[in-house]
Amino acid sequence: MSSKLRLLVRLAVIRPRFAIGYLIVITITLLAIFAPAITPYSPTEADSVSFLQPPDATHLFGTDNVGMDIFSRSIYAPRIDLTIAILGTLLSALAGGSVGAVVGFYSSGRGIRVWLSFAVMRAADVLQAFPVFVFAIALVASLGQSIQTVVLAIAFVNAPIYLRLMRSQVLSIRSMRYVEASQVNGLSDMKTIVRHIIPNAMAPVLAQLSVNVGWGILLTSALSFVGAGVRAPTPEWGSMIAMGFQNVVTGQWWPSMFPGAMLAITVFGFSLVGASIEVLADPSKRRQLLSDAREHRRRADLPVEGA
Amino acid sequence: MSLGAAEVISKTRNASVGGDKPPLIDIRNLRVTFPSGGAEPKAVLKGIDLAVQPGEIVGLVGESGAGKTTLARSILGLPPSPGRIAGGEVHFEGRQILSLSESELRRLRGHRLSVVVPNPRAELNPLLKVGDQIAAMAKIHLGVGGKEARRMALEILREVQIPDPERRMDAYPHELSGGMAQRVVIAMALICSPAFVISDDATSGLDVTVQAQILALLAKLAADHGSAMLFISRDVGITAHFCDRIAVLFSGEIVEIAPREPLFLEPAHPYTLMLLAAFSHSPKLRDSWSVPDTGRRRERNAGCQYADRCPIAQPVCRTQRPPFAEIGPGHFVRCYFPVRHA
Amino acid sequence: MRILAYLAKRLIFVIPQLLGIVLVSFLLVKSIPGDPAVLMLGPTATPSAIASLRQQLGLDQPLYVQFLIYVRNLLHGDLGTSWQTTRPVLEDLLQRFPATLELVTLSLLLAIVVGVTLGVYAARKPNGWVARLADLYGLSAGALPDFWFALVLIFIFYTVLGWAPAPLGRIDMIVIPPLPVTGALTIDALLAGDLQAFWSACAHLVLPVLTLGLLNAGPILKMTQATMEKMLESDFSRFEVLCGVPQNLVVRHALRNALPSIVTIISVLYGFLIGGAVLVEIVFSWGGAGQYAVQGVLNSDIYPVLGFVLFSAIFSLIVYIAVDLIYFLLDPRISN
Repeated sequence: MSSKLRLLVRLAVIRPRFAIGYLIVITITLLAIFAPAITPYSPTEADSVSFLQPPDATHLFGTDNVGMDIFSRSIYAPRIDLTIAILGTLLSALAGGSVGAVVGFYSSGRGIRVWLSFAVMRAADVLQAFPVFVFAIALVASLGQSIQTVVLAIAFVNAPIYLRLMRSQVLSIRSMRYVEASQVNGLSDMKTIVRHIIPNAMAPVLAQLSVNVGWGILLTSALSFVGAGVRAPTPEWGSMIAMGFQNVVTGQWWPSMFPGAMLAITVFGFSLVGASIEVLADPSKRRQLLSDAREHRRRADLPVEGA
Repeated sequence: MSLGAAEVISKTRNASVGGDKPPLIDIRNLRVTFPSGGAEPKAVLKGIDLAVQPGEIVGLVGESGAGKTTLARSILGLPPSPGRIAGGEVHFEGRQILSLSESELRRLRGHRLSVVVPNPRAELNPLLKVGDQIAAMAKIHLGVGGKEARRMALEILREVQIPDPERRMDAYPHELSGGMAQRVVIAMALICSPAFVISDDATSGLDVTVQAQILALLAKLAADHGSAMLFISRDVGITAHFCDRIAVLFSGEIVEIAPREPLFLEPAHPYTLMLLAAFSHSPKLRDSWSVPDTGRRRERNAGCQYADRCPIAQPVCRTQRPPFAEIGPGHFVRCYFPVRHA
Repeated sequence: MRILAYLAKRLIFVIPQLLGIVLVSFLLVKSIPGDPAVLMLGPTATPSAIASLRQQLGLDQPLYVQFLIYVRNLLHGDLGTSWQTTRPVLEDLLQRFPATLELVTLSLLLAIVVGVTLGVYAARKPNGWVARLADLYGLSAGALPDFWFALVLIFIFYTVLGWAPAPLGRIDMIVIPPLPVTGALTIDALLAGDLQAFWSACAHLVLPVLTLGLLNAGPILKMTQATMEKMLESDFSRFEVLCGVPQNLVVRHALRNALPSIVTIISVLYGFLIGGAVLVEIVFSWGGAGQYAVQGVLNSDIYPVLGFVLFSAIFSLIVYIAVDLIYFLLDPRISN
């Protein structure tokens, strides 16, 4: 076993929740990819005879009020939830991040560019002052309800985060010596941004990406829950929870509880992955973690050496 | 107040030093370690032995990184994080205080054993009035009521010679100058008339003239309140003015300790000489002893800690730790080849 | 005097922002498909009736004129009319906003109690089990969808245990609601001396407040923990320990120093929750302002949406100004 791999295993042992985070994300992704092979029933076809069946051997998670198999639907759901959330998040990072990098680059000095950066930041203030959910729902309503517009809504409400993040990163990196040096050496502004600044600002952006995919899933399911996102019978966690809403009150908990639990676990997994990237991206925290891992190995190896 | 006054005070007290009275505080073989990346924790204090008599002022000098602050804080049972007291004892007023419970130790701190810290503007809580911060000491440790504590705070503010003390009582730390904030910290340290005060590089960062005033004040107040003092400084010259004895700390070890005059007139350890030379006005002494730090320092050294920088080191210095030998009355040095003065 | 100058400066920055919010929401809502005139008159309306209503509503005017009309009406306190309720939006909102505010305020109080307590204990021992628990709590609270967690609570406490009332509004249907004074049912019931209404309102508040309070304690917890850790490691806390100040007092002083950051995150959360409570309002049929706005979007009823956005923006503004005032009280370094 290579030493890097061994260190990874140590890290998983001393910070089990990071390992759990990656495990959750990988498992959910695999389930979504291989859904057709795993699921016993079609996710969209209703068996009108056996509706609201409690969980048993034939229907692992039971059936909903029209007789669709909840297990199959829950496994298929991340296909749409994850796709929407990942696309929306990437789009927001790409749009917000690139504008943020440029704005950060031009935030000092003088002239029209400074004014433009100022205006962009104030526009971001305005966007962030909106109640997120009402804003997203209004976006979907005005653009027409479809998967693409949900993606756009996620991108739009998250873009200011990346705008600010990238801007502050650029501002702090810009003042560093090697960036100044490269400018003295005659690199153009654009080349400086692409070659030096963006690679260095990547780590916090990556951490934010993972957390935001989790939020994106939450927002997608919330929109679907109120009927403004993905519509039934397309398997989607939020709309499944909405379908089972009335049943919960009367005691049939399974149509809502299973998809909700999967939704929560998935978002939790992405938060953990985000937290782990945050730690690994922060040099001092990473050093602490690695020294803990070595300490752990030393203690684990000690009896062997002594024997 | 001028330095002269302080000198007079310390001289009059010199006579009482060296008696057979039991020491006020007796530090025995104090060892402090810091965890390190390697297998063994790094030793920062390597067995400190130091005793201070009631009313005595002992200077402790050493370069930055020698372990001065670690020593000051470890005496109070609070080594700087992530340090750990690895062994040794501190006897104070008849008790081994490092074995006391945290709450018993807490009641000693600021009451019987107090500390004056540098950079006082950061050390005072920015949101509390300085009068309240001083009075809190009396309330906590002496159990006096609010009114009495305020009266005492006002009195001690007068003693530390803060102009317009009634008004300063209600000032916030950010409204004070560095020198005034330092006086407030001294007031906090002395309001309970502690038996022992540790001054940890208390004047670094202040103006030279303000430094002199504060030091004189500190010495006078310690005498007024009957407090013994451990006076820690980077500047060996300062200690000459009012310390009864001076200890030289190098790399977590006391390499030489002596009453003031022998230390300045007959320094025996090569490191002490180097220190004195650095502060000396005599070009001859400076040239012969100012050895630049070559940076060759091994992680762990079984022998003398100074061997790698010592111009007169012999092979034995690197292999075996020299004993702490008495070469004159109260004059100890940890060196195989102490410098002799004709 | 300084405080007035400070607030004036603040307002100068805020007014363009408020205008921006109105503009963006106006454009957004205007682009929602569906003709309000058609929706108001129904499918059987004659084209001439629709045309005259459009003219009456100013819908035949260019967009910027419509915007100017809207702003002018706003300044006169006219937020438009909802075609769903056929009532002025201002009236509707004044009736519903207190419901949201009551729910959100109580939830925020719960979040503060949970977040600050846990945060302070976690900061006292950064490697202790409370700190681990706090970490886990912060991560999982942020991951739970509130509308689902509300369902879980309903299932446990209403369906199975029968302890909580049915999730249908703010008060039992058989109880006559107290005369509205503040709009907050608990306060109005107390003012009217109607204990039955008071307890009924409280019982209905428990589950939604638990949902929102527990799930939103995360940010407060994280901020408290981080700031308190910093304050407890700071020079002045260390000096207090060196001076023998008891640990409880050291922690209390550190908390006072950490308060500005904690108050900031609380104020941000307060503003966020006004809109963030929407889903929980829907689950519990709360009849609050957020629910009203969502109904508006889903039914092309634009003025309720605009009114809600405006209300929450102004509310956030009031909270931020209150926070500035609190800073003045908390920190002598700002006030003089």
